[in-house]
Amino acid sequence: MKDSEKIIHGVVASGGVTMGHAVRAFDPQFISFNYKLRLSHVDEESDRFRRSVEKSRQQLRRMQQQLQKRKGPESSFLIDAHLLILQDKLFVDRINEKIRDEQINAEWAIQKVSDELFEAYDKLQDEYLRERRGDLDDIVRRLLHNLQVNAQPSFKKLPYDAILVGRAIPPSILFELRSQRVVGLVTETGSPLSHTAIMARSLEIPAVMATEDLSGISPGEQLILDGDSGLVICSPSPQKIEEYKPRIKSTKRSPRSTVAAAPIVTTDRVRISLGANINFREEVNAVVSSGCESIGLYRTEFDFFRDGRQPDEESLVGDYTEVLKTAKKTPVTFRTIDVGIDQKSWDGVNSNLGVRGLRFCLENQDIFRTQLRALYRASVHGKTRILLPFVSTVDDLDTAREIIVDVRKDLDAKGQPYDANIPIGVMIETPAAAQTCDLMASRVDFFCLGTNDLIQYYLVVDRSDQSVMHLYNPFHPAILRCLNQVYLLLEPTGKPITVCGEMAADPPSAAVLLGLGFTSLSVSLPAFVRIQQMIRRVSFSELRDLARQLLRMHKPKDIEERVRATVGTETS
Amino acid sequence: MKERQVVIGHALGLHARAAAKLVQLAGQFQSSVVLVRDGAQPGEADARSILSILLLAAGHGSSLLVRADGADEDEALEKICEYLSG
Repeated sequence: MKDSEKIIHGVVASGGVTMGHAVRAFDPQFISFNYKLRLSHVDEESDRFRRSVEKSRQQLRRMQQQLQKRKGPESSFLIDAHLLILQDKLFVDRINEKIRDEQINAEWAIQKVSDELFEAYDKLQDEYLRERRGDLDDIVRRLLHNLQVNAQPSFKKLPYDAILVGRAIPPSILFELRSQRVVGLVTETGSPLSHTAIMARSLEIPAVMATEDLSGISPGEQLILDGDSGLVICSPSPQKIEEYKPRIKSTKRSPRSTVAAAPIVTTDRVRISLGANINFREEVNAVVSSGCESIGLYRTEFDFFRDGRQPDEESLVGDYTEVLKTAKKTPVTFRTIDVGIDQKSWDGVNSNLGVRGLRFCLENQDIFRTQLRALYRASVHGKTRILLPFVSTVDDLDTAREIIVDVRKDLDAKGQPYDANIPIGVMIETPAAAQTCDLMASRVDFFCLGTNDLIQYYLVVDRSDQSVMHLYNPFHPAILRCLNQVYLLLEPTGKPITVCGEMAADPPSAAVLLGLGFTSLSVSLPAFVRIQQMIRRVSFSELRDLARQLLRMHKPKDIEERVRATVGTETS
Repeated sequence: MKERQVVIGHALGLHARAAAKLVQLAGQFQSSVVLVRDGAQPGEADARSILSILLLAAGHGSSLLVRADGADEDEALEKICEYLSG
């Protein structure tokens, strides 16, 4: 109906235009992962588990009643079996024991107990009984699901042209979306720098975020999502659809041809290294076939927690071997997992100032060691580099290095082959690391500059809070001074440094990076071509002069305008 | 404590449905009820635990030792053996 056409405004989070039907996503689904509890939290955790059991029981009873009504009492006996598992001592009591004795979270305890039981089932000779592990599997999934604070409706029956509409959609779901061919994403919260937006760009799903109230969109409503202008058109008129049609077609994914066939040099023949950032191992192939010289940043946490549980060493070795074999001789920088235990909703209020990155790894050393062992074991298959995220003290760095030495000794003792010369790097993304990177230099082989977090911490702007988003600005003089200082501190050490934040992916801010002296950038594949084109258009020495002038300017807006006037503002 | 040997009479043995009913039955008594099967790993199952019963993998015709212990052990043993022999 023409009358009901309505336009909703938001922020551009991932470019492209798409048309589809609204699917409502209510609450964020949380990734479950394993962590140790403080003693004082054990009771609370055991309570959380009990609530999940109770909730599961209620759900099953309701299902049972419905089944009995429709199909008679016989059909509901399978649910009896499920209900009985929920009161089985062998299962429930043992999970509670594990939570208490080992001080681990409920999800972890459930996995441990069910793994033991699965193992026992798998040993049975009786094929029919072996199949009964399915009942247990079902219950485990239900319990894990109910442990999530706000449970998520299933995405199983999405229409092929679904546009996800919700308050927040965590990046963990995007992987599911990918195979579901979700064509777009609209959220009330989030920002272009949230993990969901980064992920949407990497999957090339157009996205609009930080919109006004979306509750007026009804499920199944037709939408045009204009990710280039940050607009959502609800129930578009036939004229509007006609108007948009050519653009919808033009943003369909096109195979990327050889983007990086020739070396990337500025007009004054300065060689710039341009790598690719990836989030999923499936992206490696696209990077290699487009001829990129390196994978400058592989954010491993998305694959790590992909199945919603903690992977074991063998499956990680398999994954990383596949990555390195697919990458052939292309070096791959694996950033060890960067998560925090409170960071359950990746887009909501999170522990940006809490336990995340290396801090998390040092508190959960079993996870860290498992990943390191897997990386070392896989390293015989390709050029591996290891990058430590969110480092804030030299002490943490030393502890991490000791763990690495330890892991290597252990592999030596077991006669496991590995690459003994894996470069170890540090992510500079906290103000502390930016101030002390020269002190870290003798301890590592390379550096990566994560500008997203660095800007967030320097300017005290939570990058997932849209009420302060306008204050997030890579052209702030504080950021320019900080980056300049990092360059001056590290330049004499001779340690290579790559900038891999979003700042490197936007031509004007990337030009500033070149001007400050950085000659190695790494960006997501969709941004690759535009940055490559920008580099080939500019003169390095002119940018160096420009940066010297920018460093004397006072206001972000003036700096940005000056850069845009010099570099040009084309973004595609 | 009372015990008795019994041969499984159910056509499919102690499979999901039969096991579920057994757990419900065992739950009606105060006594603890344990099933012991020679050669099974683990060889003992708590009759109130559906998972442990399933893991006994007791098929049709297999022999189990039923052991009841508690105030109503006689009645428990009687009813459970009656149920198991089909």
